[in-house]
Amino acid sequence: MSISLDLLAALFLPLFPLSMVFTRVFDRLRHPLARAALLLAWPQLGVLLIAQTALPPPDAFIVWALATAAFYAYRAIALRDVGLWIAFIAVSAWSLLWLGAGDVLTMHVQALAFSVPLLLLNLLSGDLERRFGAAHTRLKLGLAAVAPRYAAVFVVAMLAAVASPVFPNFFSLLATITHRVAEHGAGLSVFMVALVWVLWTWSGARLIQGIVVGEGDARNVADLSTPMVWAYAGGFLFLAAAGLALAGVLL
Amino acid sequence: MERLTLLIVALPLLSAVLVHLLADRLGRRVARLSIGMTLLTLLAALTGLSAIIGGAATGQWSSGGALGVLLLDPLSVLMATVIAGISLIVHMYSQRYMAEESGYARFYVLLDGMTAALLLMVVAGDLITLLVAWHLVGVLLYFLLGQDTRSQTAYRYAFWTLLTYRIGDLPLVLAAALLFNAYGSWSLADIFAAMAAAPAAHQVFGMALPEVVGGLIALAAFARSAQFLMHSWLPYTMSGPTPVSALMHAGIVNAGGFLINRFAPVYVETGGVLHWVFIVGLITAVIGSVLMLAQHDIKKALGYSTMGQMGFMIMECGVGAFSLAIYHLIAHGVFKGTLFLGAGGVIHEARKDDGVPKDELHTFVVERRPERQHRPWLAMAAITLLVPGAILFIAHYLVEAGFFHKQGAVVLLFFGWITGAQLIFATYRMRTENLARLFTLILTSFTVVVIGYTLIAHAFELFLYPDPTLRAGIHAAAGIDLVWFDVLVGVMTAVIVAGWLFTYYAEQQRLREREWFHALRRRFYRVISREFFVNDLYAGVARGIETSATRLNVLLRWR
Repeated sequence: MSISLDLLAALFLPLFPLSMVFTRVFDRLRHPLARAALLLAWPQLGVLLIAQTALPPPDAFIVWALATAAFYAYRAIALRDVGLWIAFIAVSAWSLLWLGAGDVLTMHVQALAFSVPLLLLNLLSGDLERRFGAAHTRLKLGLAAVAPRYAAVFVVAMLAAVASPVFPNFFSLLATITHRVAEHGAGLSVFMVALVWVLWTWSGARLIQGIVVGEGDARNVADLSTPMVWAYAGGFLFLAAAGLALAGVLL
Repeated sequence: MERLTLLIVALPLLSAVLVHLLADRLGRRVARLSIGMTLLTLLAALTGLSAIIGGAATGQWSSGGALGVLLLDPLSVLMATVIAGISLIVHMYSQRYMAEESGYARFYVLLDGMTAALLLMVVAGDLITLLVAWHLVGVLLYFLLGQDTRSQTAYRYAFWTLLTYRIGDLPLVLAAALLFNAYGSWSLADIFAAMAAAPAAHQVFGMALPEVVGGLIALAAFARSAQFLMHSWLPYTMSGPTPVSALMHAGIVNAGGFLINRFAPVYVETGGVLHWVFIVGLITAVIGSVLMLAQHDIKKALGYSTMGQMGFMIMECGVGAFSLAIYHLIAHGVFKGTLFLGAGGVIHEARKDDGVPKDELHTFVVERRPERQHRPWLAMAAITLLVPGAILFIAHYLVEAGFFHKQGAVVLLFFGWITGAQLIFATYRMRTENLARLFTLILTSFTVVVIGYTLIAHAFELFLYPDPTLRAGIHAAAGIDLVWFDVLVGVMTAVIVAGWLFTYYAEQQRLREREWFHALRRRFYRVISREFFVNDLYAGVARGIETSATRLNVLLRWR
């Protein structure tokens, strides 16, 4: 029974190849709000399911989770579409929740810490798709040249997504590493988590380079309105405050 | 007084916010606002420094949580003063230099943000704050180097920097996790006190915890300070604006030396880590200097020069001369910042006069000046080997009789001989119209440099490490077995003598007539012109990773 529940949880705290279900559903949903709801709800369901099993999960699941996290982080390097990138990073991040599986409340909080920073990028990605038809690096948008405020917001959202300080996922990753060291010592698993973190940065920087940097084309693109910029700034400030508060709880 | 550290960090942060908010209203005048705030930051740092020099007690400000502890101690206020000072110069220089560039306000926001991150790094009193600041420096540098958002080249090299820095962050994260796990606290003061009380209480991978943590901290320092194999980003970041290059070479790459100093109480409890630090520093110093000499581009040459200097700085840490490394990073920051900010002027002057010395025939026939005397080999070799040694001996005897017992001092003495010889070559070119004047200049240079260096090193050591037990502990941790020490001294002497002999024969044209010598030289040049193929290797690996990831995604239908 427990193994069946673990396998079911592996669908929502996605482990490869079950993770392909999430990436397919995410890709099918085109509306940013629907995607946002999915980003918030999917891992929470996983945590609810895992709470019904005998914790901590079997070692095989930990290995499987680590492999999935590294696998999706590695594959994200080649992605040029922001929407798909968000899905891959979400899978990579949520699979790390298996490593700290123990206290259910902490898992819920950590799942939120991994999901919420992706929401703002998801909203921006939806807006980019609406304006340009796709949020893809091949379009050579050169966003900084044609819409500097848009570019600035995109860059900060991307930094939040790749777990930069002081966003919640930064502290969540630190907590995962610290927890892992405390439980099992500094071994390969800790190195793998750290490697996943570097790969996120690698893939995120490639997207920034593809979407923000460049000459830009001659199209007349309206920049983000001032109220929208303030709204996003408020979102980032909330994330930073949440991150600092989370540091006090998790670390 | 402890709140001063909060002010030191908050001022540039506030400046960044104000510049961003007032950019539309103030236009180019935001630079003045930013400069004014940086000046206030410098004044705050100077106040802290003078208070500590004046005997004020060290302390810390705490936000009350696990993170947000800021230290007020000799190392933090000294480094804060240096950073604020260099940042102020860069701010002032940029006011006109960046005037024609797009993103003027953004540049000042990033510059202020970088200043705040660097200051937070040096005053951090807990591991989380240190990690946050350490990480932010890498991120902000990425965007500063990519100030020209239209340039893919600038971002390509900025990306290499970011990736190297992120890889270098990992050992620090791991070290922090290990220390927290062992001592149950993020506070540096608590951790160092607990470690000093029972150094061997915790084991990791079958080794004492200080050994492992010391190694990890050293790795983080290597990445930040561009040590060999983690250096490839440094010479290629010249696509960024010149003020950023100045700030990077004067204030950011030095962070490795600072980090090792901050964790000095950990290194006191280590056995062999500092020896590895020395070896890495030595390799970097030699390779950086060799590559610097092979460059045709002045900014790239300065980049490799920084690599060599960083090697020297890390080497100083390796021999236990921690405070000397701090002095070195300050001195290097000042002179390298000056060189970068003056590079544009040099290029401008070179367009009028190339500055290439006339050959001797031209001097004799056209300028009607007597042929210069040159190659006083024996005297020069004797000076290189004997005079610095004598002066160092006298200097150390006058400053502190026991100084010679520290092996680090002797190792540095040997290295000083080599660099001294290089100095003679570079400055006087071994040719002169007046031999007596040349010798006087050489002797004066050595005397000033060596005595000055010794005195300053001693003063820095007393200021940064007032506890004599800690000072002795650092030198003891860097010490090696006497037999090995003698072997090393012998090898270094042989290297110096061989170098002189090689130079002598090369200059005497005996070697130049040999075909094997030309073939060897060509092969060597091919290797160093490709920078030991390190960049090719990394580029190939990165391409391989990206290509294989793409193939895998295609195979799995991007799911």
